[in-house]
Amino acid sequence: MSANNEPNIVAFLCNWCSYAGADLAGTSRVHYPSNVQVIRVMCTGRVNPLYVMNALQQGADGVLVSGCHPGDCHYMEGNYYARRRLGMLKDLMEFVGVDPRRFHMSWVSASEGHKWKEVVEKTVEDAREAGSFEGFRRRQIDW
Amino acid sequence: MDLEKLRETAAEVVAREDVKYLIGWKNGSYGYRVAPAFIEDAEGAAELIFSPLCISNLSTYLTLVEKLPLPRGQEPDTRKIALMVKGCDSRAVTQLLVEKGIERDGVVVIGCPCPGMIDYDLLAEKYPETEGLSEVKWTDDGFLVIRDGEETNVTRDELLAEKCRLCRYPNPLISDIMLGEPVETWEPAEDKGVEEVDKKDVNGRWAYWEEQFSNCIRCYSCRNVCPLCYCQDCILDRLNPTWVNRAVNFSENTAFNIARAFHLAGRCIECGECERVCPANIPLGRLNRKMAREVRDKYGFEPGLDPEAEPFQASYKPDDPEDFIL
Amino acid sequence: MSAMLLNKEKWPDFVGKLTGKQLWAPQIKDEQLRFAPVAEGEEPALDYKNTRVPPKNVVFPQTETLFRFQVDGEEVDEPKLDEEVVLLGVRPCDARSMVIVDKLFSWDYDDPYYARRRELVTMVGLACSEPGLNCFCPSVGGGPASTEGLDLLMVDLGENYLLEAITEKGEALINETKELLEETRDANLEQKEKVINEAAQKIKRSIDPEGIPVGLPGLWEDSLWQRVSASCLGCGTCTFLCPTCHCFDIQDETEGFESRRCRTWDSCMFEEYTLHTSGHNPRPSRLERTRNRINHKYNYYVDKFDVIACVGCGRCINLCPVNIDIVEILKQVKEAL
Ligand code: SF4
Ligand code: SF4
Ligand code: SF4
Ligand code: SF4
Ligand code: SF4
Repeated sequence: MSANNEPNIVAFLCNWCSYAGADLAGTSRVHYPSNVQVIRVMCTGRVNPLYVMNALQQGADGVLVSGCHPGDCHYMEGNYYARRRLGMLKDLMEFVGVDPRRFHMSWVSASEGHKWKEVVEKTVEDAREAGSFEGFRRRQIDW
Repeated sequence: MDLEKLRETAAEVVAREDVKYLIGWKNGSYGYRVAPAFIEDAEGAAELIFSPLCISNLSTYLTLVEKLPLPRGQEPDTRKIALMVKGCDSRAVTQLLVEKGIERDGVVVIGCPCPGMIDYDLLAEKYPETEGLSEVKWTDDGFLVIRDGEETNVTRDELLAEKCRLCRYPNPLISDIMLGEPVETWEPAEDKGVEEVDKKDVNGRWAYWEEQFSNCIRCYSCRNVCPLCYCQDCILDRLNPTWVNRAVNFSENTAFNIARAFHLAGRCIECGECERVCPANIPLGRLNRKMAREVRDKYGFEPGLDPEAEPFQASYKPDDPEDFIL
Repeated sequence: MSAMLLNKEKWPDFVGKLTGKQLWAPQIKDEQLRFAPVAEGEEPALDYKNTRVPPKNVVFPQTETLFRFQVDGEEVDEPKLDEEVVLLGVRPCDARSMVIVDKLFSWDYDDPYYARRRELVTMVGLACSEPGLNCFCPSVGGGPASTEGLDLLMVDLGENYLLEAITEKGEALINETKELLEETRDANLEQKEKVINEAAQKIKRSIDPEGIPVGLPGLWEDSLWQRVSASCLGCGTCTFLCPTCHCFDIQDETEGFESRRCRTWDSCMFEEYTLHTSGHNPRPSRLERTRNRINHKYNYYVDKFDVIACVGCGRCINLCPVNIDIVEILKQVKEAL
């Protein structure tokens, strides 16, 4: 959390859909919360679950992974793999006690600037409710 | 199981020209200990045992053996490795085949139908280990513990290992040679361990695992013993990039444990070895079994059953659940 | 040096007297996994065989910050080590292990962190009346009531503990708690001898190390290493839990602009331990690693420091997941000599 109680969000966006969607939201002046750090990846299928863990360890209060709708993947099936893996990761994190509001996944296409806004708002809102995740920070412990 | 038969079969197998050695169980150095045995001849085969103490999963050795570069001109040794497996262990072999970690031609699988193994900790707590070797046998309704010549009958329920209570496949699912008749399967018990954690709220679960993971000393026994943790270049050993810092603290330990459990989701065959070897007594099985349950319930997949199956994490179905997606 | 009696009923008061210092004792929960600071209101229990993790983490923490710095700064900030620690209930083998490890950390370079922590620790030992199944301390120069490395030795005499000061630090502890203590009588000392002798009788395992240190180099290519290492998993259990293992790895960890240099325990049983940057690994398999572990303890260390780097605590035997048993290995070494 930043000083004014705003959660830090890290968003992994695929190059072809969600990144373009977020870009569209920007160029069409759709206002969405600014506490999102976007990291562009070529495909959601490339998002290693450890990216999510590392983000949370290093200061994120919430993580979002977003890619093309099923069937629209630039690489045909990367998002299908991601869906399976990150769905598992979400279950695992929940079992370990990571608040499920800290991790979201979404499909946002290049033309869905408005959906991007909604997704970000939901992610930020959820992370805010879940609160700061200091207990898991690298530097918090024995640094 | 008839030990004579086992030793005879083993002796025949190791006498074969296309077999390099056989991996089985032998008596350990004291008490209830049982050690892995690497058998090359009939003399060695005479040491083999199969008892309720043979809980370890030997299939891990199939991938643990280092593939060192050969001196110039030397031909690789392509002889087969013979391996004794229980029901759970056999699933590891199948899963290794699925992942192409081993080749079917490279192994001779000797199936041992398994009536259930003893939990060493429970046993040693109730009947303290002695300096001399003890023996444990199966009886009709439990176990016979022979310690310093003194015999004690124990009920099955008292000492059965957790993984065996939950076991659904006590008979080897893959084998070249089967020793003895299949055992009668039993109704798997409720997974109380997973439920205990599941029924806590999210903060309760975090607190629970915080206590557990704080104890981890990062010895990586759990990784090394696991038949399915065999990456040549494990992320935990990686320095560039460093996925998990070398520092041992709750944050890194948790990241490591989540990564390990995640990598085994849809692959873990519930042999329980990781939890057995953990010197910090972390209930790792709960993580793995929870994931196994999710994979089974949500995706209808169980690892280690079908050698022709597609690896769970390297495949997908168009209609995989996506109710979690925003 | 004095010897006094402490009635067990006064144990909580005794512990209460040691204020101003941090008390470490075997953790009560989690099956005495390790030594940990005694929490407020917690009463250290002494009915245990030994902790799974040795108390070496008090002087050689598993992860230790050496210094912190800003990535773009020029200053380093070193941790201040000034908290006095009293280790309560150390087993004699573990106390001895520190004396052995001292030699390494003060050898060609004085390790300031280790040295400082050693200065700050007072070791209150507890003689073993019920040695564990795999204890073999007498074989390697120790014993269930060895005082080497201890400041104070406690012997369980039933109703009382006999407290014997070994060093000035121990003497000071006795003085601090004098009002709780009683004078010893001859009968107590006799009883102590009896307890100690009985304990020594209870030790089952042994190995005579005579000839091993000089003989090991000749066995470098012996087939015994293949035999004893075949089942090794290459995990860090035996070495992390060994009180005399002292290998460490140094890493810089950076978060944003803040960095620290820290060291963590390392183990020669790990593949990564000897891996060169080039990718070459001079100890490419578990065979070489197992051979190194035994050689380091029973050969190299003896060569350099004239003492075996094994105190016979039996932890590696107790906890090796595949029953690799150092006493058995040493027996095989002796046979091969
Ligand atoms: S075996 Fe246990 S202590 Fe060792 S690394 Fe695994 S979880 Fe940690
Ligand atoms: S994760 Fe544990 S239970 Fe699962 S296969 Fe590996 S060692 Fe066996
Ligand atoms: S504990 Fe046992 S298996 Fe693990 S490295 Fe040591 S000897 Fe090998
Ligand atoms: S080299 Fe191995 S045996 Fe020697 S101190 Fe280091 S870890 Fe222990
Ligand atoms: S090795 Fe000796 S000193 Fe150590 S716990 Fe055993 S009996 Fe006590």
